[in-house]
Amino acid sequence: MEGTEQWKVQVEQLKVQMEQWLEQGLEFVHQIPPIQLYVGVGVLLFTTLLLLFTRLFKRRKSNTIVLSGLSGSGKTILFYQLRDGSSHQGTVTSMEPNEGTFVLHSEIAKKDKLKPVHLVDVPGHSRLRAKLDDFLPQAAGVVFVVDALDFLPNCRAASEYLYDILTNASVVKKKIPVLILCNKTDKVTAHTKEFINRQMEKEIDKLRVSRSAISAADIANDFTLGIPGKAFSFTQCHNKVAVAEASGLTGEVSEVEQFIRENVKF
Amino acid sequence: MLEQLLIFTRGGLILWTCKELGNALRGSPIDTLIRSCLLEERSGAASYNYDAPGAAYTLKWTFHNELGLVFVAVYQRILHLLYVDDLLAMVKQGFSEIYDPKRMVYDDFDETFRQLRMEAEARTNELKKTKQVGKPLNNARKQGQDQKTGFGENKKSNSGLADDGDAERTKGHKLENGYSNGNHVIESKLTAVVNGKENTSSNVGAFDVNKLQKLRSKGGKKTDPVANKGSKEEPKKKVTKKNRVWDEKPTEAKLDFTDPVGENGDNNIDVLAADQGQSMMDKEEVFSSDSEDEEDEEGDKGSKPDAKKKGWFSSMFQSISGKASLDKADLEPALKALKDRLMTKNVAEEIAEKLCESVAASLEGKKLASFTRISSTVQAAMEEALVRILTPRRSIDILRDVHAAKEQKKPYVVVFVGVNGVGKSTNLAKVAYWLLQHKVSVMMAACDTFRSGAVEQLRTHARRLQIPIFEKGYEKDPAVVAKEAIQEASRNGSDVVLVDTAGRMQDNEPLMRALSKLINLNSPDLVLFVGEALVGNDAVDQLSKFNQKLADLSTSPEPRLIDGILLTKFDTIDDKVGAALSMVYISGAPVMFVGCGQSYTDLKKLNVKSIVKTLIK
Ligand SMILES: Nc1nc2c(ncn2[C@@H]2O[C@H](COP(=O)(O)OP(=O)(O)OP(=O)(O)O)[C@@H](O)[C@H]2O)c(=O)[nH]1
Ligand SMILES: [Mg+2]
Repeated sequence: MEGTEQWKVQVEQLKVQMEQWLEQGLEFVHQIPPIQLYVGVGVLLFTTLLLLFTRLFKRRKSNTIVLSGLSGSGKTILFYQLRDGSSHQGTVTSMEPNEGTFVLHSEIAKKDKLKPVHLVDVPGHSRLRAKLDDFLPQAAGVVFVVDALDFLPNCRAASEYLYDILTNASVVKKKIPVLILCNKTDKVTAHTKEFINRQMEKEIDKLRVSRSAISAADIANDFTLGIPGKAFSFTQCHNKVAVAEASGLTGEVSEVEQFIRENVKF
Repeated sequence: MLEQLLIFTRGGLILWTCKELGNALRGSPIDTLIRSCLLEERSGAASYNYDAPGAAYTLKWTFHNELGLVFVAVYQRILHLLYVDDLLAMVKQGFSEIYDPKRMVYDDFDETFRQLRMEAEARTNELKKTKQVGKPLNNARKQGQDQKTGFGENKKSNSGLADDGDAERTKGHKLENGYSNGNHVIESKLTAVVNGKENTSSNVGAFDVNKLQKLRSKGGKKTDPVANKGSKEEPKKKVTKKNRVWDEKPTEAKLDFTDPVGENGDNNIDVLAADQGQSMMDKEEVFSSDSEDEEDEEGDKGSKPDAKKKGWFSSMFQSISGKASLDKADLEPALKALKDRLMTKNVAEEIAEKLCESVAASLEGKKLASFTRISSTVQAAMEEALVRILTPRRSIDILRDVHAAKEQKKPYVVVFVGVNGVGKSTNLAKVAYWLLQHKVSVMMAACDTFRSGAVEQLRTHARRLQIPIFEKGYEKDPAVVAKEAIQEASRNGSDVVLVDTAGRMQDNEPLMRALSKLINLNSPDLVLFVGEALVGNDAVDQLSKFNQKLADLSTSPEPRLIDGILLTKFDTIDDKVGAALSMVYISGAPVMFVGCGQSYTDLKKLNVKSIVKTLIK
């Protein structure tokens, strides 16, 4: 009860004040010569339009590169390697994406002004995968990081994740290029990119059959991969899918940088 | 002795570790903590236990939500370090002062940390001296190990005061080196507490005889009275002196918690939470009456109750400018409302409660963004948490698994378990139908040899779907029937065996034993729990007891638990979809199928997004 009373009083006060301001404002406007007024309004309009246009223009040319891949594949290390040229004191499992807009560390020294890259590291924990959907629509390229050291036990999970990315609506429609990055190649026991490429193609081939299965519900993927009746190969994708090697820990990241530069132009 | 203390960002970059401690941790306790506790909406819990070969750690943590930092302390579980919480709080405070997102190296924090640690230790000692508390440790450990890592400060000798039976006494003697530090042994069955820690010379480790006797009689073993030898008179005196202290101790309740199995943190947390859940029952009325006020408050920009007095203008201002930082009191009304809403959607109370705690932990200290209300911030955080929980941790692509098994020339075995009358057989038939549609050959195994008519019911389905059924009538051991069925399937080349089992209540010991045997003997590829979408609070009980029984009764060191959930009668519940959440949260298993009607085609996948929307709405 008391509250409403108080409220009413406040509103009353506000109203009175508003009216006063309005009157003052009108008087002020009347005092200014009309030409000045028109010029002022014109300038205001122009700037807003300009701002709007630059916004629109910018959005079309995305500079977002998404780092994806299973948990523990080395995305966060890679993120900091690309940004700072160092893996600092190491990492633990990410609970949130890492995001930053910067000029790649290796390019800072270069003379020509390069466009900064918006790099996003999306955690690999399956509970956090949903976050990927927020970033894919604006991505200029996707780096899918694979742990080449511990590859075989994770092959299926990694392939499933990659399958989800390759059939994602934005990726398919916008033909977003994907780079499969075999990480941790500093270790001698790491698998080669050819091997990983082959295994994942095989695995995705099997997934093609089993996915698209369960009836109705969750139509997450409308898109299918490859050509029916033919063994799946990444070359069948409409977007570019390439394979490369890297070692985030030792800073061996030139192939990723190249990929980023190809897709984020000036 | 602390093993390690880490400071890292939520993004996963380590900012600072204590080099002085320098111990390499065994296994990967931090990653495990994050993956199986913090990301599972269990960060409201107090601690997490990590076990790896040669390591039994306890981890404690705290968040700085505004800066997005996480502080984790790791220590040996046998050492009940009292100062950890204190230390973490101080480290958080100290570090947040020097933290700068652009800075990556914080070597200067080493010195600050050393001081903080000394302070914390000193303060705890002070506390111990005055209060003379003795804390029991909640797990049984050999005392032999890690003696030397003491509290540093109390090296006064005391004879470990083992009083209970021979086993204890011998153990106690191992302590004669004098560094008896915080090793409270609870002998697994006996639950005898030996306390040899907080002892200055005036205070020899104390224990409560009465308590011990009570516990002992509970254990049903060793009834001989306290048999102290040697200098027993003195300690005895102290014992009586100490009784009062023990009675005041709040942690005493923990004594009853001897873990039924040597187990991991998850279960521990569950036990703790179950306890909290119960006490919340009593508080329920308070909550529901509050919820009415709550509605008004929400209209009032969802700010603190006393914001009303400050009036409309200031709260408007607050919502525009953004509030300094959220604290518990700010969040409480919105959380309460959310909890009630979840409960009206049939989410088990205990789980709604835990979720809210976890959301609170993730928001506390955060800045409220401009033009947002607390209630909507809380709601958004909850929504994210719900999506996280319901998103399956592992693949739920059964067909892929079936194909993998086929490659190995083995039939893929699914066991359907659940309480009575939830529709196991019907939904088994639906799954069979679905598999058939995807060109998988299916065989049914009628292992419900308990309820009359069960075999006939399954036979009817089999005939309609025209698939083979393996049956051996009633009165047979279901485990054996299942085994024979699987052998038969290997012979005739069936890809999948769907095993129907008798419905059983989670408390029915003999039937649970039979189920455990069936699962152990046949090691199926998938243990599918069939549950009704109608259940509310009972969902938690059913699933946790099933899992508990399967773990307890298992003969293998790595017991098979429930791998997936089939929710039935989903078409009958409107917006009361809470059971899905409760079941997934409590078991960690994903909902693999949803049964939503009477015909064979009425089987769906869970639509996570729509469920979350319904829950929040
Ligand atoms: N040998 C080797 N180890 C690496 C390399 N890159 C990363 N690691 C290790 O892999 C582990 C995981 O690295 P992260 O970068 O945290 O993994 P992530 O992909 O960010 O994982 P999530 O955050 O859980 O998704 C760390 O212990 C790294 O030290 C590498 O190039 N070589
Ligand atoms: Mg990471």
